[in-house]
Amino acid sequence: MFLLPILGYILLFFIDFKPLYKQKRWSDFWVNTFIGVVTFTMAMLLSFGVKIPSPEKPIRELITMLFGK
Amino acid sequence: MQKEQISDKEAIFLYASFLLGSTALVGIGGDAKNDAWLAGIIGVIMSIPMLLIYSRLSNLYPGRDLFDILDEILGKILGKIVSIIYTLFSFHLGALVIHNFAQFINTAAMPETPIIISMFFLGLVCIYAVRLGIESLSKTIGLFFPLLLIMIFIVQLLTIPNLHFENLKPFLANGLKPVFKGAFTAFAFPFTETVVLLGVFSSLKTKKSAYKISFFGLLIGAIVIISLSTRNTLVLGGLAGSLYFPAHVAVSMISVGDFIQRIEVTVAITLVFNVFVKSSVCLLVACRGIKKIFNLVEYRSVVIQTGLLMIFLSYIVYDNIMLMTYWAFKVYPYYAFPMEVIFPVIVWIVAEIKVRKANKLKPVEV
Repeated sequence: MFLLPILGYILLFFIDFKPLYKQKRWSDFWVNTFIGVVTFTMAMLLSFGVKIPSPEKPIRELITMLFGK
Repeated sequence: MQKEQISDKEAIFLYASFLLGSTALVGIGGDAKNDAWLAGIIGVIMSIPMLLIYSRLSNLYPGRDLFDILDEILGKILGKIVSIIYTLFSFHLGALVIHNFAQFINTAAMPETPIIISMFFLGLVCIYAVRLGIESLSKTIGLFFPLLLIMIFIVQLLTIPNLHFENLKPFLANGLKPVFKGAFTAFAFPFTETVVLLGVFSSLKTKKSAYKISFFGLLIGAIVIISLSTRNTLVLGGLAGSLYFPAHVAVSMISVGDFIQRIEVTVAITLVFNVFVKSSVCLLVACRGIKKIFNLVEYRSVVIQTGLLMIFLSYIVYDNIMLMTYWAFKVYPYYAFPMEVIFPVIVWIVAEIKVRKANKLKPVEV
């Protein structure tokens, strides 16, 4: 299963990252690469069946604490 | 690069479609039960002042989007901080909407398909639409939304034999408190979520159109949402409050002459289109926010990765459908309140002061 995201990201390298690199849009390239690394990590973790903690829990707990159920 | 423009008609449909989003499926009112229609009407009335504020902001700074306005009014640093908050809000909202859609598909249509598949394909369509730009998206809406309205109208007519008006009684059985709670939920989800649309209103053709679009968009959206919600109550009675997707069940009861049956797929079609519009707009605004925060050349550079991140977030955000409904009605209104009310009011007051000061300094134009 983990091969799917790897293949997907190899494809993305050619259609998403390479054009920005060739056009020398450095800020766009680096921001995109940073988000790309995050999404790639998430894709790999999900493909290995790792449970990623959701951001809703701290928000929900804070709001229930402040305003009650 | 040429500037993208959207016509007033397309923008009105965009507004209404954004309002319908996932609300047409999940319903409004929450606690209000059979008084949901009243909660909806009160929610609309409550949201009018906020919509006037959003329109006024768009009117004061024509051709600028939400992040330009924040930058101009709050200054570089504070403007950037609030821009980050709005980018995260828009991004999170998009993920929640995709999750709503996928839960519906998983529950009602394709229970054996892994939920990430429906999220992934909806996300891909959104990424493609956002890369094409707001003009293509709004032209699509201009084409399809009238058809959806006709379809909703026909389905409403077909439900007439199943309507039981006694389901509206007892009126205000639990007092006004649940109605106002429901109205507050409707106010936050979906009526004032339109603050996100400030991010795309920079593409409007004329300066005065923001008020017109807000008014007609709200009118269409509110009529459809309230009529759908009332229909659910009339058809299902007390059951409407305990179902996750009342619209789907209400429409599935239609049977005209043993011939027109099982037309709940119309609910799914309406949902797919509106959810596509809402999540695309959220993704677009999030990408524009990232562009502004990091001073990028173009927002399209980050669309694919941000879209993928949105898909993964929508996958991990809720563990189950009960949590999704709990969030939509109990947590979301409070969570969204600062972004929907507090920040816009502060920004509007500062904007009015700044504009008046600038007008005093300038000679009066005749």
